[in-house]
Amino acid sequence: MNVGIEALNVYCGLAQIPVPELFEGRGLDAERLGNLMMRNRSVGLPFEDPVTNAVNAARPIAAGEDRIEILITSTESGLDYSKSVASYVHEYLGLPRSCRVVEVKQACYAATAAVQLAAAYVASGVSPGAKALVIATDVALVDERAAYAEPAMGAGAAAVLISDRPRVLDLDLGAFGNHSYETMDSARPGPTFDIADSDRSLFAYLDCLTSCLAGYRSRVEDADFATTFDHLAMHTPFAGMVKAAHRKLMRESGGGTASIEEDFERRVLPSLAYPRRVGNLCSGSVYLALASLIDHAALDGPARVGLYSYGSGCSSEFFSGLVDEESASTLAGMRIGEHLDGRCELGFDEYAALLPDTLTCLVPERDRQVDVGAYEHLLSRARFDRDLLVNTGTKDYHRTYEWLAP
Amino acid sequence: MTDTEIFETVKQNVLKVLPDLRPGDVTTEGTLTDLGANSVDRADVVTMSMEDLGLTVPVSEFQEVHDIRSLVDLLARHA
Repeated sequence: MNVGIEALNVYCGLAQIPVPELFEGRGLDAERLGNLMMRNRSVGLPFEDPVTNAVNAARPIAAGEDRIEILITSTESGLDYSKSVASYVHEYLGLPRSCRVVEVKQACYAATAAVQLAAAYVASGVSPGAKALVIATDVALVDERAAYAEPAMGAGAAAVLISDRPRVLDLDLGAFGNHSYETMDSARPGPTFDIADSDRSLFAYLDCLTSCLAGYRSRVEDADFATTFDHLAMHTPFAGMVKAAHRKLMRESGGGTASIEEDFERRVLPSLAYPRRVGNLCSGSVYLALASLIDHAALDGPARVGLYSYGSGCSSEFFSGLVDEESASTLAGMRIGEHLDGRCELGFDEYAALLPDTLTCLVPERDRQVDVGAYEHLLSRARFDRDLLVNTGTKDYHRTYEWLAP
Repeated sequence: MTDTEIFETVKQNVLKVLPDLRPGDVTTEGTLTDLGANSVDRADVVTMSMEDLGLTVPVSEFQEVHDIRSLVDLLARHA
């Protein structure tokens, strides 16, 4: 049985700021722009939250589906210690009441754990024809305190439909490697701020990639980083990190250093086009990279993709699957590039003025009103052509939502 | 393996990662940051040096590394 990703979509908000603009506004050293390799970052608006991002990503792939038996949201932007983001998402996607609903957490890795568990469920045959919808959804909680991490953080969601009709990515079942251990490289101790030790995180990301590949090779005879995978899509904290990881793995696999840059441009760079325009999408990041790869690589036959997911704390996985022309035609229907082009471009002052509201969007408040109309000056500069879910506040702690027409 | 051999390995890798430097720029008294290495470059220097020396050092231990001298000392402890 073939199992994998039947449909994939991302939603990365309605606004973005060019990274050089943010560097200038914060007085950051422009020489470090080259290392980050980032062009823009998505910026959440005060009426966007993990629920709206998830619903807006998933709606185009969930519409008309009547066999979704499992809904999993993966987030490090939880809204409640007990009630899941998925419970709201289930409602606003109009999914069947016979559906399992659950939320998972393991920093930027959790969605991949969910994808693998869902794929195994589909492959088990316990419910023939069943599908699972996994949505990685997050908001950014960064301001000037985050220094060079601020320009790298994105916001939005990636939605992945897992089934036995894998038109986007046909998973290599049984081909994977994992690596996990406890470390405090980054965390979100409260609903308004992140803490991060960027060097510790960088080493853990690289260390886990090497160890995951060793695990993969122990399951897949003769697998080799340099030759087994036609393309690579990796968790992208910032695009420069992926470049460094690729360099490290190429050295370890014994590839000549002269060809590393050419190999990077051919196998990896297509996966970074969207991440460079969005920022770190947390556990959706590897699926944003996969979407980028499928939309930008010339696929003229089956191609094997190696995928790497890393989540601070930490847990990680390297796995693989096949993409082909049908992947490209299926994903093209989502018009992801057009969506990213349509985001409103913010100036630094506009961006800074939004932060007090966006940084508190996860804070539980008994009653709150969000006036979507107050942001008409930004909305009128964004292009979108379908109804989008927006948060209008809370009533007795219950989050309230409305549909916003184009 | 002597500290001098370890330092020479680190130095060669610093020069590979930061090709604009002159060999004399890399001393045990300096820091990688002062030489212009960003966090990705520092990770490259450390991982390349571990490979060249055939060492495996738990990543958590690199937190205590603040200059080239302490990097050499750490690698020497695991040699």
